[in-house]
Amino acid sequence: MEPYKETDAVIGKGEQLVVLARKQHSNHEAEEGFVDCISEALARGDGRLEVHATKEFEDSMYPWFEPSTAPLSTDDLSRLLERPEVMQQVRKTGVRYVVWLDGSTDRVASGGGITCAAGIGGAGCMGLAWWEDDARYDATVWDINKVESAGTIHADVKGRSVMPAIIIPLPFIARPQAAACRGLTQQLKQFLTSPHGYGSGPEPGIG
Amino acid sequence: MPPQSRLRPALHWLALATGTLLAACSSSVIVESKFPSPLVEALPVKMGILIPEELYNYIYTEEIRDESLWTIALGDANVAMFKPLFAKMFQETHNVDSVPLADRGSLDGVLKPTIEKFEFDIPVNEKNKFVEVWIQYQLTLFEPDGNTVVAWPVSGYGKHELGHSKEDAVQRAAITAMREVGAAIATKFAQQPQVKNWLAEKQHGSTTGVGVATAKSEIVN
Repeated sequence: MEPYKETDAVIGKGEQLVVLARKQHSNHEAEEGFVDCISEALARGDGRLEVHATKEFEDSMYPWFEPSTAPLSTDDLSRLLERPEVMQQVRKTGVRYVVWLDGSTDRVASGGGITCAAGIGGAGCMGLAWWEDDARYDATVWDINKVESAGTIHADVKGRSVMPAIIIPLPFIARPQAAACRGLTQQLKQFLTSPHGYGSGPEPGIG
Repeated sequence: MPPQSRLRPALHWLALATGTLLAACSSSVIVESKFPSPLVEALPVKMGILIPEELYNYIYTEEIRDESLWTIALGDANVAMFKPLFAKMFQETHNVDSVPLADRGSLDGVLKPTIEKFEFDIPVNEKNKFVEVWIQYQLTLFEPDGNTVVAWPVSGYGKHELGHSKEDAVQRAAITAMREVGAAIATKFAQQPQVKNWLAEKQHGSTTGVGVATAKSEIVN
């Protein structure tokens, strides 16, 4: 995890955040399940935050947060908020922070194999299969009130799963996406409740 | 047991097996969704909305090699998308059946959407994990007397990760593509040069005619 907080912004009582996926890329976007994981995890447990439902926000702000129309920078956001009907609606939702998720979980390597057979005497499998997944995500936080980027958190989690088979397959599954969700959630909670900037991570890619 | 009674159970099993086999060879999707109203300022015109029969009943079919016969019904979704969109885009909207209008003073213009193209793609290997849909509509704006102001092609692209159900992924990608079309219409319709001129004339109460033109295609990716 590489958090980088540029501002002193914190989420106040009654203020909400919304988690959105960046969708302008043609070959990847943060999975719907991952967006849901982050949204749900931020809304529960210690330090839970008020999270606005993603689909509700996109519907209430339609057509301004669709893949082709969503603001790509805080300058775009500023221009969008100049529309009185948009500003009014944003205020109505109570959302102060937008968390943009970019990235995906991809299979980067795999190998081995398992063979299974069945006969009159019985059935079974033999072999070894493995695969490696890489979950890489950026979470960029925008402060709508100040129309500025509050910072970025970068997560990169690799996991190798192995499945040996001796008569029956024995799966040892790594879940890098779930680990990335947990890590990002923890960092986002700290990010939005810590009053000071911190970290020396990479410059935010967006905004 | 008479011979016909012995045959009946066998025929039932044959019908069931045939139905199962046919179902396995075809995929059908009925695109259904509630589309939101756009957050835009209404244009100060009274618009007639002409939705042709073929839009209400639009069904796309394609046989994909090594796959199956796909049937995708968009009709209800088309209407569900356009009605709230136009209702918010214009000061007043009224459904009309044809142009030219019988009462040419009652409305400022007539808008007719038609669907020109539908394409979709399902990934065949592990490298690509998205189902993709492209839809192109044509939005034609008419004067009340039937003259065409502009015929504007507008497209939308949608993708959705391929999960357990290909049909579900196609439906969601189609909904995204339709939302994109709605977004393009809501945000760019009034910016088309012919539409800008037409709006200016309506606001100034001019009776000068506007020549027929085809607007530059808007591809939304």
